[in-house]
Amino acid sequence: MNRIETRDDRDELLDESATLWRITAAPVIWAGHFLLCYGGAAIWCAKLGGGIGGLRLSILGLTLAALAAIAWNGWRGLRASEGVAPPELSRPEHRHRFLGRAAFLLSVISAVGVAYVALPALFIASCR
Amino acid sequence: MTQRAPEGLYPPTEEMLAEPVAPEVAAAQERRLRAVWQTRTGLGYWSSVNNSEIGKWYSLTCFAFMLCAGVLALLMRVQLAWPGIQFLDADRFNQFFTMHGSAMMFLFAVPLFEAMAILLLPAFLGARDMPFPRLSAFGYWCFLIGGIFVLGSILFDAAPNSGWFMYPPLATEAEGPGSDIWLLGLSFIEVASIAAAVELIVGVLKCRPPGMRIHMMPLYSWYVLVVGGMILFAFPPLIAGDLLFELERALDWPFFDHTRGGDPIFWQHLFWIFGHPEVYIVFLPSIAIAAMVVPTVAQRPILGYSWIVLSAVGTGFLSFGLWVHHMFTTGLPAISLAFFSAASEAVVIPTGIQIFVFLATLMVGRVTMSLPMLWIAGGLAVFTAGGLTGVMLAIAPFDWQVHDTYFVVAHLHYTLFGGMILPVMAGVYYFYPFFTKRMLSERLGRWAFWLIFGGFNLCFLPMHLTGLLGMPRRVFSYPGDLGWNWLNLISTVGAFVIAAGFLIFTVDLLRPGKPRLASRNPWKAGTLEWTDTVEGEDWGVRSIPYVTSRYPLWDQPEIVARMDAGRYYLPDAEEGLRETIITSVIDARPVQVQRVTGDAWITLAAAAFTGGCFILPTFHLYGPAVVAGLIAVGCILYWLWTSTARVPEKPMKDVGLGLRLPTYAAGPAAVGWWAMWITMLGDATAFASIVFGFFFYWTARADFLPPGAEHAVPGLVALAAAALALAWAATLGARRLNRAGRQGQAVGAVIAGMVLAIGGGGALALSVAGLAPAAHVYPAVVCALVIWTGAHVAVGVVMQAYCLAGLVFGKIDRDHDADLWNVTLYWHFHVLTVLVTAAVIGVAPHLL
Repeated sequence: MNRIETRDDRDELLDESATLWRITAAPVIWAGHFLLCYGGAAIWCAKLGGGIGGLRLSILGLTLAALAAIAWNGWRGLRASEGVAPPELSRPEHRHRFLGRAAFLLSVISAVGVAYVALPALFIASCR
Repeated sequence: MTQRAPEGLYPPTEEMLAEPVAPEVAAAQERRLRAVWQTRTGLGYWSSVNNSEIGKWYSLTCFAFMLCAGVLALLMRVQLAWPGIQFLDADRFNQFFTMHGSAMMFLFAVPLFEAMAILLLPAFLGARDMPFPRLSAFGYWCFLIGGIFVLGSILFDAAPNSGWFMYPPLATEAEGPGSDIWLLGLSFIEVASIAAAVELIVGVLKCRPPGMRIHMMPLYSWYVLVVGGMILFAFPPLIAGDLLFELERALDWPFFDHTRGGDPIFWQHLFWIFGHPEVYIVFLPSIAIAAMVVPTVAQRPILGYSWIVLSAVGTGFLSFGLWVHHMFTTGLPAISLAFFSAASEAVVIPTGIQIFVFLATLMVGRVTMSLPMLWIAGGLAVFTAGGLTGVMLAIAPFDWQVHDTYFVVAHLHYTLFGGMILPVMAGVYYFYPFFTKRMLSERLGRWAFWLIFGGFNLCFLPMHLTGLLGMPRRVFSYPGDLGWNWLNLISTVGAFVIAAGFLIFTVDLLRPGKPRLASRNPWKAGTLEWTDTVEGEDWGVRSIPYVTSRYPLWDQPEIVARMDAGRYYLPDAEEGLRETIITSVIDARPVQVQRVTGDAWITLAAAAFTGGCFILPTFHLYGPAVVAGLIAVGCILYWLWTSTARVPEKPMKDVGLGLRLPTYAAGPAAVGWWAMWITMLGDATAFASIVFGFFFYWTARADFLPPGAEHAVPGLVALAAAALALAWAATLGARRLNRAGRQGQAVGAVIAGMVLAIGGGGALALSVAGLAPAAHVYPAVVCALVIWTGAHVAVGVVMQAYCLAGLVFGKIDRDHDADLWNVTLYWHFHVLTVLVTAAVIGVAPHLL
């Protein structure tokens, strides 16, 4: 007989909060990178104008930082999704593996998104 | 303090589940359940709040609005069939295309997602009802009233005529009430959408059956979760935009007027920050239907569950980075355009993944080309074509070439027909037996499919060429020597073929005498909605199952018999109350019995007066609008007071299988707290949009801030911030004091909080009393921030007063403080709003 565990949502969320964070972390990094690129370019072009060498360098740096963060996040997710062969679906280990795997896949897609968004800075050399 | 924690045994063992239920016990349980959940007849039927009734009304209303918008399209196609004819005049044509787009988007596509989710979600989750049935009912009635108002305007020749995205200055300067009808009517419906999103998110997170962990949910629930989240971030910018737009229309505050420091482009940003995610808000739930149909058709579990989750979540995020691709021709810097172009290409990846997952599942399964699968297949083909033109349009130079031509019209109809209409039709054919217990005709269904699919391609495929040949969209007529004649005629014929298909479908949908369902699971599906009996009881599920699989009907052979026998949870309604089980967010452990609200007229009254509050200002009847608003607030307070977070008759309840659950929850354990949290997230997004406006103007305009401008009085702004921060502290203090058993002090704290809030709100209003918002956009945006914050102060004070009454009259005590928790949560968000407002109007102007 299993007695029901008397712990509330907060404990359970805490348990998985690391993985839950990892699921959303990569897309959030993508969103932050995107907004900084777009907002940075808009303000640069409106307020400074002219050459955008500094802007392009900043975007490069930002992109490398974002990709590094996503890579680390994806690697952690991958680690969580590895391990013994999948036990039956209703075991907590399976949920843990699922969340790790989802985090990894979302990291891949976010990395592609970040790289895409950075490409314009490679090719476009002015505000016009 | 009473300890409220689940007690007893969980999860149930196989022996417990195998134990039979005595027939006479089961019969008595069924009698009680039936009495509690029975749908009323006669006039009382319209007071129903049960998700199945609301869902049906909602879906049928959406369908009716869709048919109206379709008729508008047909009339436009008649006018365009031949060059230079005068079937419709230019102004009526403008009204028609504006209403066609607005109605299809706001009165059909988005609400239909809500309608179908309200109808289906509880069944997917084996729940009795949604967590807030009256909120669904309120949302539905708001939608119906607002929809009739907006659509009805066309009969009075008063409809909006500036296009469904209402670009200023055309729309701000438009004569007559058309633009106001659009703004106020649709804002009203947007509020209903947010209500539905809150309901659906909480439903997915907290109303799953015991055992259904987060990685076991039906895929539809994942999509609902993602789309609900998207609504919270997409709709609020439009609501904020509507507010600014209406302030410009009614009070001449120049947010979008270039001559006084405003910028029409700002509207385009707000509209498309909403408008592009909206395309995915429409698309994802429809593709979610495919995710339910495909495994059934293939008779095997979906291949790559986590890939679908990835693509739903990934699409949800990426779709927020695309909005400027609607604005490629507005003269933004090339590098800005390129960011959005790149993101628009990137979103194809997650969107494509889900299509490949479906194809892979079909390839390895044993496919029968059933009617729903036919619609899905048609949908995937059409959507893929629309997606490919989307990739073309995402390349800015190509877009410059075809912007505002029929090429765009063809593209958007391909994505919407393929991504929404055809999958939804699949859903109607697939789920019809579930919610009516009858089958639609196979023969008529195939006729309808080939007419709609064929007619669609006949209508819209030539439009690509019409667009490339240069025909602009939204012209009511054209000269006959430009080579567009035959193409337009073919499109018109195609449109009527589509209409014939929908006519057949409508006849089939509404005709009496369709055969009754022989078995409860006609498609041999694996998910919980097909456990519903062929008689179709109002209670949803006879007992709430313990789930150990993604496809319980395939993998848990005993589950149907045990659910029917009342072997699982909540098989009874001893107290004569409507109840469902609340489970934990991740692992779906049972945590509480939620008493859900029952049938009521008050929701209808609340919706009617809310409607008055939004509709009367269209006719400049501001006094009556305020009165209607106050009555609406009264109705909602009455509804909350009499039926939510009531002190239960006993703290714990036996739910069966040796498990006892609490009947009351407060704070993060309560569904109401989650609903407040989610609502406030949307609210914060709307506020952020106005703040974004302040900095947008600063970036876009050299004359922001204007030299020598009047500012908000810094001392008063500081005073307001301090008083409102103290009001927040007092509210938080009241909650803590109440928990500590010091009710008297809690009452004092709430009263102090109210006084401070009113004082703070007054100081904030006074700080901008000297500004002239009609003169320039700077004072206008400052005043808009103050109006937003001030309105929230007023709501906060009403909430405090509600808690005060609760403390005095015993609705809130030491053990039952859910209301105080929710109000405190509101104030957490509110104090942030106050501090940001104070920083933006009091500090930023002196720094920039």
